[in-house]
Amino acid sequence: MDSGFLQPGETLEDDYDTLAPLLPEELIGIMDQLLCHEMAWHTGYPLSQTLFTSTYIDRLLWPGPKTIPQAQFYRGDITDDKKPGTLLDVLRAYCLALIKSCDYVIAKITARDYFEEEDFCTHTYNRVLLVQTPIDVFLRELDASVEMIEDPDVGIEDALRSAIITRLQFRKAFLCALDPECPLELLSNFWPPVTLKIDEMNRTHELGKTVPGSFSTKLQRRLASTVPPRPIVEVDFKDALQNLRQICTACEEATRFKDLPTDPLEYQSFLWTFASRQPAPLPYSRSYLSNILFDPYILNTPISLPLEDVKSFVFHESSVLDPSNWTLSPPRNPLMPKPPKLQFALLIDEFVDRVGQPYLDLWVALGQNRCRLRRMLTHVITAWDILQQDAAFVDAGIVTAAQQLNISEEVMPSPLLTWTYNKKLWMIEKIIILGFEQDIYLPDEYAGMYHFLSLIAGRRKGTLETCINHLSDRCLQFIDSEFHQTTGISAFAKALHGFYTIAYYLRLLPCPNRPFSTEKLRYELRMKPFLSLQPPEVPPFEEFEAVLQPYGSYSEPKPALYEDLKNSESKLWVDIDDSLQAAKDAFAKAKKYGAVKSKAGGVEQAWNKEVQGVLASCVALGVAVAGLKSAVQSIEPGGKAGIKMELPEAGNGKRYVEGWVVGKVAKE
Amino acid sequence: MNNEEATVYLSQFIGQPLRIHTDDGRVFGGQMKCTDKDRNIILALTYEYRAPSSDVIRKAVKESGNPSAPVNWNSRYVGLVVVPGAHVKKIEFEESTMSGQPSGVVV
Repeated sequence: MDSGFLQPGETLEDDYDTLAPLLPEELIGIMDQLLCHEMAWHTGYPLSQTLFTSTYIDRLLWPGPKTIPQAQFYRGDITDDKKPGTLLDVLRAYCLALIKSCDYVIAKITARDYFEEEDFCTHTYNRVLLVQTPIDVFLRELDASVEMIEDPDVGIEDALRSAIITRLQFRKAFLCALDPECPLELLSNFWPPVTLKIDEMNRTHELGKTVPGSFSTKLQRRLASTVPPRPIVEVDFKDALQNLRQICTACEEATRFKDLPTDPLEYQSFLWTFASRQPAPLPYSRSYLSNILFDPYILNTPISLPLEDVKSFVFHESSVLDPSNWTLSPPRNPLMPKPPKLQFALLIDEFVDRVGQPYLDLWVALGQNRCRLRRMLTHVITAWDILQQDAAFVDAGIVTAAQQLNISEEVMPSPLLTWTYNKKLWMIEKIIILGFEQDIYLPDEYAGMYHFLSLIAGRRKGTLETCINHLSDRCLQFIDSEFHQTTGISAFAKALHGFYTIAYYLRLLPCPNRPFSTEKLRYELRMKPFLSLQPPEVPPFEEFEAVLQPYGSYSEPKPALYEDLKNSESKLWVDIDDSLQAAKDAFAKAKKYGAVKSKAGGVEQAWNKEVQGVLASCVALGVAVAGLKSAVQSIEPGGKAGIKMELPEAGNGKRYVEGWVVGKVAKE
Repeated sequence: MNNEEATVYLSQFIGQPLRIHTDDGRVFGGQMKCTDKDRNIILALTYEYRAPSSDVIRKAVKESGNPSAPVNWNSRYVGLVVVPGAHVKKIEFEESTMSGQPSGVVV
């Protein structure tokens, strides 16, 4: 049935009287209830099931007021004896500020660079949330309310009085923090006062008395919606405060963004770390960070940000990027060849123009929730793939110009292509690691996916190596740190690949029955995002299968498997041990460089934790491998090892790093 | 009316403001987009109007003391809607929005 159809005997109007006098306890109860609804909305429920179920809010917004004095709990003229009392006036001020907060939240979330936020509902059902009214009107109303309440003549208990004042002050602080016009350099001042009030509200929540009658699902029938009324979302006050606190801390963290050094790689580390925050940032906090990132103050830097990124990998102190190149004018006669230095400038400008969009796409993706980030990255890499082909053309121009200047030595072969390729490989690495983090892969795919990760990281290691070879020693630190991290990832993934291959041969991993698919089709599906890439990243299935099944099929392995398993000096075990050792060394070296030199200085703590976690994962794998090794000492072909594998679950702190799944070996 | 005539007749209302009364007492006003043989009608930019309930009227009369006190109809914007043919009681075509007087083309 449609949303406006009434059951026989059902009334459209709710009979709650918004002008009936309130008790102070009830005022507190309603304010807290509204806060719960606001937070429920922040976590993704529509306004229709949350704030718009409040009769008070409905009266203020409908019929749409033309001015703020018109926005009352009544419309038109009423006799003085019916005019709302002080407490209702206070509630009105609170509600108005609350409505404006919602308006600001929607404004911020919709101001972002892509078309929708999947975790948030911006629909206002044809209600206008006081869009035109500036913030000071609301602040004035709140201040006036505080004064009214402070008046001793009002005659309410002190505890209740201060609880009400706290809520008004909270609303004021929160509204100021949400103001989208807030100047960038002052942002961080706004969140601490909000956080302060949260605890006070928590302490005084008990004083309130709920007024369930002031909320009604019936109000949904009057919204511009074709959905019949749905139940009101009930959120516990504790949970609501938890969400509020989460918004405050995440936003406060986001404000640190503006203090980062002007370096796109620092930005990238920050965005990545922010997206990995636990608990995951709510949509508002993510938009908040994106709005800081896309602020003209951040983006309009003297040197283009992508170019700065290029500079960190290639062209370090190279004459290709010499600022004087940009000061040359082209020859008057257009038929005359341009000076090579000017050609550098023109080529680089062309590339910077070209790289802008894919670069922004990457940043936009980094501002999404984790699941969407993984999905969006798979699209972003295709754009980078095309960019890589374009980079090759610009590179050809640069090489020719360098030859004319006789500085071919100084310019590495295909610098821009190398940079683009390296960046693309970085994204593929992240996609695979995110897949592990989000439990996309089933345990029987672990070996294959870690093998693929190892291949990709190995390739990136290669590109970084070419960069290092063309750099002078002084600027090596960042690239070297990056190189060691990649080496570590590649080696560790290789060790895990070996570990899970053995585990699979020993049938320690669950293997679901899949009557309708084949190994090959599943492989194609898994590799789908990467199949179109050039140069091809995905090995042909036959090659892949040969690596994953070195001893023939899992169900009937060759006898050589058992001999190799028993012999701890066999290539099977030595490979794993060597890779693990290489991974440990590489991560340790990267750790020695520290976060600042690895261009993650803004998120030093998280960076250290990550490296520490990966090192701990390496140790854990060492233990697991040793356990496996000792268990198979006397294994007979087709026999059982007498052990079982425990795989740590995602998301509850059982993994040292979410993207690295290291199984535990335990006695059966 | 044969099929062709009926088509011509109905086509003239496409894009025109219609008012549809349904059997539960509501009125939908919007631009007609299309219809079918079951009299289902799609309206765009639609507002839903509902007569005030008898309680509300009684209360208004009592408060003002005037037996013909004006009481507003409730309205809300519902956008693009399908009105099921089975529930259509009356269709009015609004010839001129200026006069505001519906000229009853009643089906």
